[in-house]
Amino acid sequence: MRIPFEWLKEFVVIEMEPHELAARLTMRGFEVESVEEVESAFDGVVVGTIAEIEKHPKADKLSLCKVDIGREILSIVCGAKNISPGDRVPVATVGARLSENFLIEKRPVRGIDSFGMLCSEKELGLSNDHSGIFILPEDFVIGSMLAHAPGIRDVVFDISVPPNRGDCLSVYGVAREVASILKQKAKLPIFRLDDGQENIKDYLSLEIHHIGACPRYVLRMIKDISIVSSPFWMRNRIMKCGMRPINSVVDVTNYVMLELGQPLHSFDYERLRGKRIEVRLTEGNDRFRTLDGQDRDLDKGDILICDGEGPVAIAGIMGGENSEISVHTKAVALESAFFNPLFIRKTARRLGIRSEASLRFEKGIDVDNVDFAAERAIFLMNAISGGTVIKGKQEIHERAEKKTISVSFARINEVIGTPIEQQEVVEALRSIDIFVIAALEGNISLSIPLFRHDIVEYMDVIEEVTRIYGFDHIPPTMPVVTVQPQKKGLKDIFTRKTKDYLISAGFSELINFSFSSLKDNENFLIPPSDERTSCVTIMNPLSKDYGIMRTMVAPGILKNVAYNINRGSKNMRFFEMGKVFISNGHGLPEEYPTLCFIMTGKEREYFWREKATDYDFFDIKGVLEGLMGQFGLDFTLMRSEEPFLNRSRAGDILVGGVKAGWIGELKDEVLEAYEIEQKCYCTELRFDIIMAKGNLKVQFQQIPRYPQAVRDFSFYADDAVPVSTLIEEIKMVSPLIQHVGVFDMFKKETRSIALRVIFQSFEDTLKDETVNGLQEIIITKLANIKGVTLRT
Amino acid sequence: MNIEELHNRVESGIASVKTIEDLKGFKLVLLGRKGLFAEYLDGLKSLNKEERKDFGREINSLKSETEGRLKGLEDHFAEEERKREQERSWIDITMPGKIPLTGRKHPITQTFDEIIRIFSSLGFSVAEGPEVETEHYNFEALNIPKDHPARDMQDTFYIEPGIVLRTHTSPMQIRVMESQLPPVRVIVPGAVYRCDHDVSHTPMFHQVEGLLVDKGVRFSDLKGILTVFIHEMFGPDTPVRFRPSYFPFTEPSAEIDIGCVICAGDGCRLCKETGWLEILGSGMVHPQVLRGVGYDPEEVSGFAFGMGVERIAMLRFGIDDIRQFYYHDTRFLSQF
Repeated sequence: MRIPFEWLKEFVVIEMEPHELAARLTMRGFEVESVEEVESAFDGVVVGTIAEIEKHPKADKLSLCKVDIGREILSIVCGAKNISPGDRVPVATVGARLSENFLIEKRPVRGIDSFGMLCSEKELGLSNDHSGIFILPEDFVIGSMLAHAPGIRDVVFDISVPPNRGDCLSVYGVAREVASILKQKAKLPIFRLDDGQENIKDYLSLEIHHIGACPRYVLRMIKDISIVSSPFWMRNRIMKCGMRPINSVVDVTNYVMLELGQPLHSFDYERLRGKRIEVRLTEGNDRFRTLDGQDRDLDKGDILICDGEGPVAIAGIMGGENSEISVHTKAVALESAFFNPLFIRKTARRLGIRSEASLRFEKGIDVDNVDFAAERAIFLMNAISGGTVIKGKQEIHERAEKKTISVSFARINEVIGTPIEQQEVVEALRSIDIFVIAALEGNISLSIPLFRHDIVEYMDVIEEVTRIYGFDHIPPTMPVVTVQPQKKGLKDIFTRKTKDYLISAGFSELINFSFSSLKDNENFLIPPSDERTSCVTIMNPLSKDYGIMRTMVAPGILKNVAYNINRGSKNMRFFEMGKVFISNGHGLPEEYPTLCFIMTGKEREYFWREKATDYDFFDIKGVLEGLMGQFGLDFTLMRSEEPFLNRSRAGDILVGGVKAGWIGELKDEVLEAYEIEQKCYCTELRFDIIMAKGNLKVQFQQIPRYPQAVRDFSFYADDAVPVSTLIEEIKMVSPLIQHVGVFDMFKKETRSIALRVIFQSFEDTLKDETVNGLQEIIITKLANIKGVTLRT
Repeated sequence: MNIEELHNRVESGIASVKTIEDLKGFKLVLLGRKGLFAEYLDGLKSLNKEERKDFGREINSLKSETEGRLKGLEDHFAEEERKREQERSWIDITMPGKIPLTGRKHPITQTFDEIIRIFSSLGFSVAEGPEVETEHYNFEALNIPKDHPARDMQDTFYIEPGIVLRTHTSPMQIRVMESQLPPVRVIVPGAVYRCDHDVSHTPMFHQVEGLLVDKGVRFSDLKGILTVFIHEMFGPDTPVRFRPSYFPFTEPSAEIDIGCVICAGDGCRLCKETGWLEILGSGMVHPQVLRGVGYDPEEVSGFAFGMGVERIAMLRFGIDDIRQFYYHDTRFLSQF
C-alpha cells in the first residue's frame, strides 16, 4: 500500500521525520519497504502564466508563448495545444534539470530562440500524462517555485500491509496505527453534505435476497452532474497511491477507497433499468460483460448486483459495461456495501480478478464505515462535478455485534515472558480501539472493533499487546525445557559418511532442481514399461524442462557436465544425493533417496612427472568398492539391461541379492543428447537400500602375530571365465587364504591373469610344506575349470 | 726384528692413501692374511720367549692403532661418498607438487551443516519429511484454509487437486507433533518449491524449520534461542532485530533481521537502504495449530521458525545471484 506522507498528516499530527516514522511503523509490523521522495528535481521549475500565444512563423504545429514568471517574461516555443492565455503552467527555466540527461538550455527552435520549456505532468515525473501541458490550479502563486506548491513535494511510504490487516489498506487505516504510535487519535475528515429536496425513494428501491452474503448496503444518489477532469490535488494523490485518474466520478470512488478503505461503485443511473437495485446470488450458469469489455462466466454463489432486468455488477469485484459511468453520465447511483469476504474471495479467485475493490472486500472492510464513506463520496462528487444531491439513502443493515474476548493479565505476561503492568496493557489496547468492558481479579473482557476481523481469540489480543509494547523491550530468555536425548538420525549418519567419503575421493557435490522433463527420459532411452516413466507430473510447471519430478538423478548431472565442458573444463568428478519420485498413480508418490556419481575426463589435465590417463570403468568401480566398504557391504555386478548403458562396460549392482543400482559407461547416443563428446562413467544407487543393508558398526579384528606367506599364480583364462570365478574358487580352497588379488592382466589371444594369494594363520607360522600343498590344490582346481590353463 | 721399519711402512702407506680404493688395497697389504702384520707376527715364532712377548706386544699395539686409523679413514671416505651421492640426487624443488584431488561440499550443504550443528548443540533433533505433500499438511493444518489470503503469499506447484510440492518445511511441524507428545524440539532441513525464477528466486530452494513445544515456553524464549543462533551463525557482535510480522500458523509472529553484512547499517543496495537484512521468520505456534494436532494450548506452548538456506549462504559467502548455486560451474564449486 502506497501512503503519501502529506495525506497521512490530514488525519494525525506528525512532527516526526518521515524516515523515523517509517522505522516506527516497521517495528509495529507494517514494514515500510521504501520511503520514496516524490521527484524533487524541480529546481528551476517555477509557476508561470501564459501572457500571449502566437503562431510560430515557420512551423504550423508550434506556437510562440510569452510566459510571465513574475520577475520577467520569457519567450518559449511550445508544441502543445491545450494552453490558452491566463493559464497557470509549470515553466522549466534555463538551467533546470528535469532528469539526469534532460537539462533545459536556451536553444533555437525552427529559427526562434526558446528560453525554457512548458512541462507536461509526465515531464515533471508526476504522472504518465503527456497529452498536454500540466495546467496548474489557480491558487498557485506566479513566480513561486513549483516544488513549494502544496501537494507537489512529498514522500510516499510503500508499506507491506500484513495479509490479515485489511483494515490498513487505506490512508486512514494506516493513520490509526500512526496515531497509536504517537499516542493520538486519528481524525476522520469533516464535511457537510447539502441534501437536495428530492427523495431517493422516488428514484430507486433496494432489495437484498441473501443477507449473509451482503449484511450492509447503502445507496445514495446525485444528479445533474457534469463529468470533468478531477482537480490536481485529487489526481495527484490518486497517482501517488499508484492508481490512474479517470474522471471526476470514478476518481472520487477511488479516492474515498484509498482514503477510508471502503470500495465504492458508481452506476450511471440513467442506464439502470426499472429504478431498482437487487443483491442476489447467482443460481445457475450465466455470462456477464464487465466494464473491461470481457465476458465473465458466472457460477452458483457469486453475488450479483442487479437492476430491474438483470445483472449490472459482480458485487465487490467489477462493475458491468451496461451501467458504466461515461462522459455522458448525468446522474450517479453510488453503492457502498459490506460483502461477505468468503463469497468475494471465491469469486475473485475463480475469475482470476484482483481488483483494488476485491482485494479489500476479501480481507473484510469496516462495516461501521459503509455509510460514512458513501456520504463522503457524494459530498466530493457534488463539490467537483456539481449537480444536486438526492436526499437520503436506501439501505439494508444487519447489525453486527462486536466480539468480546477475555484474557488475564497473568496469561499475557506468561505468554510473552514479561512483567508488563496492567495499566500499560489497558492503554496499549485502548490505543488501537480495543476497550475493557469488564474487569475482575486480573481478568479483563475486551470489546473488539468491527474492523479488526483478524482478532478472534485471546492469543490475537496478546499479539497486539506484544506489538505495541515493542518486541525490542522484551528480554531474550532461554527456555526452561524438559531435558531429552537428541534423536540420532540414521539417515543423517549414512549421508554424512557418504559425502565425506566422496569428497575425500575428489568428488564435488551438486544440488540440482528435482525437476526434470519427459525429454530426459527419452534421452535416456527409458522404455514405456519402465517404472521410471511413472512420473509425478506438475500441473502448473514453470516450463517444459521442469515439467515432471525426476525419476533419475543422472540426467541433471549430465547437464552440469555439459555446462562445464562448454566453459573449458573437461575433467570432472561430481556427486549428488537427492530424491527421485515415482508416482503411485494418485496421492503421495514414493520418494527414494538416491546417490549418483560421475567421472569424466581424467584426474588432471597434465602433471609433468607422468602421463595422465583417461578415467575408465575401473576408476568408478573402485570408488564404489570404497564406498561399499564404508558400510561393510559386499556387492556383485551382474550384466545390466539398463538401456542407457554400454552393456559391455556396465553392470547392475546387487547388494544381498537386491538390485541397488547400476554402474558403467553411458552410451554415446545418450551423451550426444546432452552434447557431450567424451566418455562418462556413472553410477546411481538407491540410497534407502544401502541404508537398509549397510552396517555402521565397527568390530575390531585381531592383528595376526605370525608372518604371512605369499604365492603368485598365472593363468590363461577364456573371456567366458570371469576373474571373479577364479578368485572365488581360490578362496574356497582353504580358510588360511586371506586375500586374493589381481596384480596383472593382459590379453594376446587369451587373457593372461596373474593372481597374488596371501596365506595367513592366526595360530602359528605357516610351514612351507603347508603352503606348497595348498598351492598344488589351487593349481589343480583352477586347471580343472573349463577354459583355464596354468601359465608356465 | 725391525719394528721401526714396520712403523715407517705403516706411516708412508697411510700417507699415500688418497681414495677408498687405495685404502682397500693398503688394508690388504697391511692387514690381509698374507699382509705385513701377519708376516711380522709370523716372524715372532723364531724369537725366544722373552723377545716374543715384548715384540708381540709392540706389534699388536701398533696393529690396533693402525686399524683404528684406517677405520677413521674409511669413515672419512664414506662420508665424502655420501655427500657426493646427495649432490647427484639434486631435484628442482621449485617444480610444482602434486595436489591430491579432493572434492567440495556444496555451499548449501555447508550452510545446512552449520545450522544443524548450532541447533544440535541446543538439543534439537533432526527430522525430514516428504517433498510432495498434501494440501492438508502444507496449508490447512497450518491454519491456511482454502481461499485464505495468505495462500497468495506462496505460488504453489500442484501435482493434482490436493497434492502439492511443499512450499515450506512447515508441514513437518504438523507431522512431528502428530507423531509424538510434547516436549518437541526438532529442526527440519529440506528442499521446498515455489513458482518463481529470477535473480533472487529459484523454483526449488532450501529451508530449515525449527519447532520447540513444551510447558511454559514464552515469546521471550524465542528471542533468546534465535539470538543465540544468529550470534553463532554470523558472529557475536551481529546486531539482531525482532519485528512484528504475520504468518497464519504463528502468533505473535516475528521477522528477524540482522544488521546488513555489507554496509553495517549505513544503507546499501543489498539491504535496500534499510541497514537490515531479513533472515528468519518465526513466532509462537498458533493455538489453532496446537489444537489441530491434539495439543492443549492452555497446557503447552511453543515457537516455530523457518529460514532460507540460500539466503544465509549468500550472506555468508557474499554471493549475489541465487542461481549461481545451481549452475554448478566448477569455478564456483571449487571456491568452497
